[in-house]
Amino acid sequence: MSTAPIIHVSGLTKVYQGSLKPAVDQLSFSVLEGEIFGLLGPNGAGKSTTLMMLCGLLKIGAGTIQVFGLDVNREGAEIRRQIGVAPQDIALFPNLTARENLIYFCRMYGLKRHVIHGVVHHYLEAFGLLDKVNMRVSHFSGGMKRRLNLIAALLHHPRLLVLDEPTTGVDVQSRNMILDYMKKLRMEGVTILYSSHLLEEAEKLCSRFAIIDEGRLIAAGTLAEMLAANGGGENLEQLFLHLTGKGIRD
Amino acid sequence: MPVALVIVMALIQNNTFREFQETRIDVLFVDEDRNALSGNIEGSFQASPNIHLIKTESGKPLTSEAARQLVQRGDYQAAIIIPAQATVTLRKKTKQAVDELFAYYGFGPAIPANDSPAVELQLLFDPAIKANYKQALTSAVEKMVTGVQAEWLTDTIQEQFGGTEPKKKIKIDFSRMIHVNQMIAAENTQSGLAINAVQHNVPAWSMFAMFFILFPLAGNFIKEREEGSMLRLRLISGSQFPVISGKFIFYLFVCLLQLVSMIGVGLYVMPVIGLSKLVLGTNGLGVVLTGLAVAMAATGYGLLIAVYFRTPQQALSFGSISVVILAALGGVWVPTFAMPQIMQSISPYSPLNWGLEAFNDLFLRNASTSVILPDLVKLVCFSLVTLAASVLIYKSRTVS
Repeated sequence: MSTAPIIHVSGLTKVYQGSLKPAVDQLSFSVLEGEIFGLLGPNGAGKSTTLMMLCGLLKIGAGTIQVFGLDVNREGAEIRRQIGVAPQDIALFPNLTARENLIYFCRMYGLKRHVIHGVVHHYLEAFGLLDKVNMRVSHFSGGMKRRLNLIAALLHHPRLLVLDEPTTGVDVQSRNMILDYMKKLRMEGVTILYSSHLLEEAEKLCSRFAIIDEGRLIAAGTLAEMLAANGGGENLEQLFLHLTGKGIRD
Repeated sequence: MPVALVIVMALIQNNTFREFQETRIDVLFVDEDRNALSGNIEGSFQASPNIHLIKTESGKPLTSEAARQLVQRGDYQAAIIIPAQATVTLRKKTKQAVDELFAYYGFGPAIPANDSPAVELQLLFDPAIKANYKQALTSAVEKMVTGVQAEWLTDTIQEQFGGTEPKKKIKIDFSRMIHVNQMIAAENTQSGLAINAVQHNVPAWSMFAMFFILFPLAGNFIKEREEGSMLRLRLISGSQFPVISGKFIFYLFVCLLQLVSMIGVGLYVMPVIGLSKLVLGTNGLGVVLTGLAVAMAATGYGLLIAVYFRTPQQALSFGSISVVILAALGGVWVPTFAMPQIMQSISPYSPLNWGLEAFNDLFLRNASTSVILPDLVKLVCFSLVTLAASVLIYKSRTVS
């Protein structure tokens, strides 16, 4: 793993129209190349808002985000060319088959026609969907949709993968398959920015973390660094509850 | 469905667009005169292919009261009542007029003035009768009476000069003195075509249906946005133009296919079901260009609605009502010339009016491409403006 930051977020702030309270408030963190970085926080902490700004889907209120040294505001298209995003909501055409979805996305990514078939076959096989290749996505189970949603983010071999709760609502088998593939990608040098509520899963997967609450960064670093800096604790979940409190969030 | 719409509208409006001369109506004829005037009028109408005179009801001669009731009930659209003594009165009044004329120029003795009342022929009409039928029937009766009067006038003048024997009188055929010819003005050497239900409804409702492309377009666009597939496209790098233009080209093709189908119905189906055959005029290139321009305008408008509104309910309710308004303004229902002045001044701002004007120029007036060019330019500009606005709005919503 290189020590060069591949993502650099500085003073990031976003206030939604009609809201007085910022959804993201002076947020700063860096993601190093080749690591799996966990962006954690309770509901409404600002994780998805941060990821949307990072992907160029949401205008940055204040501050900067640099990805591969490029500014998201000015060079968003170039950044999107090099990143793969699996959003929290399934982003697929439900009335197309798995193959049709992937072929269409490959074409949109600009992949050459002669490589598309091989790429699609490779990922469908890797994620156990080869026998469902001609099934409409609307007939897929939640786990199958999640896997296909992830494949759609990988088709163009991105350097950076942004995953917003990629294992939400899936069974153990699908979750293990997704997590195993994330580890494989890290071994191949792909950087992964990962957001989740599942702290046990995050603890096993991520090398470093940023915990945010009410839009603000409240802890960052490796688990050991965060535990040391915040008065100990045994694991990520204990630290998380210590930092964010036990009150129910909307 | 658009094809069904065109057929149904053409069938419904078939009679509305037919001229009086093209139809045959039943008219009650009450002859209380039983003399030369009523005989002359009856004879003329019986020779007419458009009027069928009915003189009896249940085997009995019609009375004016019975005729009034039948028309009032809507059983018949019109009745002609020739009052008793109409011939005698009219002859008397004609002779009186000739005598006065002769006396004035010193060819006869002065005669006392006679202010006897005029002959009152009555035409009764059903309130629901079309205005042009009413006008045509009234004109026909007036024309016949004028002819009879002219004939009697020359008879009376000849009698004043001593020609009392019928064989010695000269018969003047007034009908041969002047002819009024009806022609349709057209740009080219080929004569133009009068508008009818098919010529109006096929282009008008085809365009209406083409503008309703916004239903599938906006519906699918918003559905894709809600289902998340649009998010995937937004996440894929590059210009948003291919996404928008891809949809534009696909739905443009659908619009054109729709137009071709509807023209095909006008050419091959409508004659089979008793309507006129659609006549496309002589400018094939003009028809293709107009079809393309209208399809572009319709698709551009649909795309703008799809991109601008956030929910299907908003898009479809605004879209459908706006298309109905644009169609009404454009002359799809009521031809522009029949609209009130204020609406006529608004009508030229509707893209459906530009398209309809261009189609009418091509189909009815055999216009050249240069004649329809201003309308085509307006349609293409409208399309480009809506397309550009769609791309800008879509782009602005990509990063909001």
